[in-house]
Amino acid sequence: MDAATLATLLDPVAISRAETLGMHARYLVEGYMAGEHKSPYHGFAIEFAQHREYAPGDDLRYLDWKVLGRTDRYYIKQFEQETNYVAHILLDGSESMKYGSGGYTKLAYGKMLAACLSYLILHQRDAVALDIFDNETREYLPRSNSHAMIHKVLATLAAFEPARQTNIAAVLHEMARQVRRRGIVVIISDLFDDEEKVMEGIQHLRFGGSEVVVFHLMDPAELEFKFNGLVEFVGLEAIPNILTRPQEIRASYQAEVERFRATLRSGCEKNHVHFVPVNTAQPLHEVLSGYLAFRLKTSVK
Amino acid sequence: MSFLNPFMLFGAGAIAVPIIIHLLNRRRFQRVVWAAMRFVKVSTEKNQRRMLVEDMILLAIRCLMLALLALAVARPAMRSTTHNVFGQSKVTAVIVLDNSASMGVSDGVQTRFDKARKVAEQAVDALPSGSAAAVILASDIAKEVIKEPTHDLNLARKAVREAPLSDRATDLFPSIEKALETLKGRSAIRKEIYVITDGQLAGWRQLGNIQKTLKSAKEQTGEQQVASHLILISDHEDRNLGVSGLVLSSGLAPLNRPLRFEAQVANYGKQEAKDIKVSLLVDGASADEVTLPSIPPGGTRSVPLNTRFKTEGWHNVTARIPADRFPSDDTRTLAVRAIREIRVLMVDGEPGSEPRESETFFLGHALVPVSAEEAEQYYVKTSTITPAELGGTRFDDFDTVVLANVSDFANDTTTALENFVKRGGGLLIFPGGKLNATFYNQQLASVRKLLPATFGEARGDAAQDEKFLTFQTKGYDHPIVALWNDGNAGTLASARTFRSFELKLLTEDGTPEKAVKQTGGTVPTPSLIQTNFAAPKAILRYSDGSIAMAERALGLGRVVVFASTADTAWNDLAVRPAFVPLLHRTLGTLIQRHDEGANVRVGTQFARRLTADLLHKDAVVMAPGAASGTRDLRRVELVSGTPVLSYDATDKAGIYEVSIADPPTVLKFAVQPDPSESSMAELPAEEVTALGLVAAVQRWHPTLNLREWVEKARVGAEFWLPILIAVLALAALETFLAQYFSRAK
Repeated sequence: MDAATLATLLDPVAISRAETLGMHARYLVEGYMAGEHKSPYHGFAIEFAQHREYAPGDDLRYLDWKVLGRTDRYYIKQFEQETNYVAHILLDGSESMKYGSGGYTKLAYGKMLAACLSYLILHQRDAVALDIFDNETREYLPRSNSHAMIHKVLATLAAFEPARQTNIAAVLHEMARQVRRRGIVVIISDLFDDEEKVMEGIQHLRFGGSEVVVFHLMDPAELEFKFNGLVEFVGLEAIPNILTRPQEIRASYQAEVERFRATLRSGCEKNHVHFVPVNTAQPLHEVLSGYLAFRLKTSVK
Repeated sequence: MSFLNPFMLFGAGAIAVPIIIHLLNRRRFQRVVWAAMRFVKVSTEKNQRRMLVEDMILLAIRCLMLALLALAVARPAMRSTTHNVFGQSKVTAVIVLDNSASMGVSDGVQTRFDKARKVAEQAVDALPSGSAAAVILASDIAKEVIKEPTHDLNLARKAVREAPLSDRATDLFPSIEKALETLKGRSAIRKEIYVITDGQLAGWRQLGNIQKTLKSAKEQTGEQQVASHLILISDHEDRNLGVSGLVLSSGLAPLNRPLRFEAQVANYGKQEAKDIKVSLLVDGASADEVTLPSIPPGGTRSVPLNTRFKTEGWHNVTARIPADRFPSDDTRTLAVRAIREIRVLMVDGEPGSEPRESETFFLGHALVPVSAEEAEQYYVKTSTITPAELGGTRFDDFDTVVLANVSDFANDTTTALENFVKRGGGLLIFPGGKLNATFYNQQLASVRKLLPATFGEARGDAAQDEKFLTFQTKGYDHPIVALWNDGNAGTLASARTFRSFELKLLTEDGTPEKAVKQTGGTVPTPSLIQTNFAAPKAILRYSDGSIAMAERALGLGRVVVFASTADTAWNDLAVRPAFVPLLHRTLGTLIQRHDEGANVRVGTQFARRLTADLLHKDAVVMAPGAASGTRDLRRVELVSGTPVLSYDATDKAGIYEVSIADPPTVLKFAVQPDPSESSMAELPAEEVTALGLVAAVQRWHPTLNLREWVEKARVGAEFWLPILIAVLALAALETFLAQYFSRAK
């Protein structure tokens, strides 16, 4: 992979800012190695978590002798295990992601976001799995925390070209079935699909215990809809062409977009999923560092 | 409801334009590749019905605007009986202002014409704003001062105010016809004509036609309807004397010889006129004066007036009676040219052995009726030759050639004679026993077209004296013999003709066109008068109706043919007293052939044939009574091969002076008023009432309020203005709605 592709996918500013913030797991994650993240497994770890009353059958190694000596009560010491996690990055590679009115298409923006997140996560020695999908998985990189992983990620992202329609819900359900260990699932998509089904997929993921973060990408033109005169809209996906005067339906369109986002947002909030609306006109570093800072603030330590 | 520009209704087809633009615009759109189709689809479906309704509303407004615009341009109009909110509708009017001579009758303060001009101005003032007016001055012709109705009413006012009075006769029909014609092509809801005249009976000679025309104009529907207004300005003048005629009785006007003029004085009034002083003025100086004791109402008296000319050239001779309220007919002027001498060449076909037997013996004595001593001083100079000498004679040295019983002559002589006549010479032919009638009929009549008549069979017997023909005793029409209409001037009837040729008038060559063609030109002459003069006509007839004398004009000259001899061989005319005046008057006609037309009626064209050196020269014409600074410029043009000066602006009576700078030439001609204008008879009251059925008739009185009178009848309206306002309102609504509908929603 050449340096140019690297430079386009990895935004140095975004990376440098994000590195200081770090991508931490908000919930307990299951890992193989001791890492920065809390593991649901209590054991020999360094971090003391809490006391609980001794119950018959408990390992006497964890009995807190000091407390017993002082109070004559049996308490077991519980510790928190710190572990690494697996971040599944799901990038929507459907045709609707090809749209871009200004500098980047949504897909290009999504690729950059995916690349930066991958780098960040791998840098923390956590594992990353990459899944680029449309109506099914198109490209898949199994989880890895090796340093070579970033190169694979970048190469896969750079090589991908979209060709089909979206079916996000199906992919999410499939993902929920595949993820054995609780980790983080990052969805980067415009979510132009039936919002009910999308939410069902997210719910499925959450049910499996994974933390889900949704980066909802939209182009500024899609948000503002600033067209004049008579315009024929040529659909990137199945919907037939529409000839209309956009300025006359702008308000209605924007209301529709807003309703769509509100549905998604409320659905996400209900499932404790971070919903990050992204305008692709915003610089990536702002979006990324903004979200990571927010995440740090709201993390459950 | 009718349309003033109905063809503009086709403009309603323009409503297709917005539809076409709409359809074309549907083909012109921006194509955008789009991802968020579901939102576009949902919002389009939500707004589809509303947008369609808005589009339909805009399209309907645009189509309606164009349809209304076409309707407005088609100028719908409706006659109504009430004033409408948009005020009076515009009027297209033609003012027909009578400027004939009779309008010059004064009431002592102002003339009828002064009043008529004021009335005409009031008529212009009474037109609603935005109206148009044309002005026609009516006399016996329609003079269009403002041909096309102008919206500049000040111009119309000025034309009326500055309209000149003419000395022409009146005939209102051509002017009324012209006025209706002017209105015919115009688009206007209201069309009006105003005829302002003095109601002189002479002007209504085509009353039937006028009534018919006005009636049909009134009965037209819609915009073709014309409302006519007749304003009669009359003041019941019942006294008028006029000089109705003035002629030079002696055909010639030689220097220093007594000249007799006949002036006709007519009493057009209803009362007897007494002690009328008739004076003759030569070049403005009093020359003679006669007092007529009385003229009965409707009567005419002839007054002989005598004078002499002291100088050669043109003189103004004016007969004048004391001025009355109609000054135009109180004088009458002739232009007369005084001549120094007349050279006559007599060709004696039968000289005989002694002078008395000569064919020209009596002719010579009659032409110079003075003693041998006085003959030197006499203005007629004669020379006599034989037919054998004809070949070597230069005809141009003479004014008139007389052929007396000449049998025939060489072809060269015939050509020389023809050219001589065409250049203005006179030819007088007397037949006799020697005359070769076949030669004359073929060479002179049919080939050269010189003769007014052909010679037929000779009839009668000169040897006996029982059977003879006499001349007609009355009804002398021709100017040469008109003298004998007056019984005091002697008689022609005493002469007896025993033998004569039957003269057959050449009628087929008498048509004016052919006569002109014969002069060698191809262009028809503009002068109707002169061509009519060229037609062969009989001068004098015998009592049995056969022709005794005939004449025709050819080029600038004239030919007179007698039916019998110049001596006493076939008749005894030569020894009758009438022979001398008959011969002299004939000579006068021959000589003054090219002064012919010096005295014309008002309005007729003056045309004078001139010598070749004046061709294409500019002539300055000074009209009588014209301001000293005003001159008319005319050019001597070639007509039918002859240089001709013509002038047709002869609206005023009197002397017109024509001067050509190089070579210096001065001409004069006189224009005579039409005596019919002197009659003060008015249109009878019952005829005025009958006119009231086809036109609004109003008699002038000092307190006449024309505006009030005409406005009563003037209602009706056009609707283009409200329609145009509606179009503008729709345009504003369309702009607003288009903005409102296309605002961001």
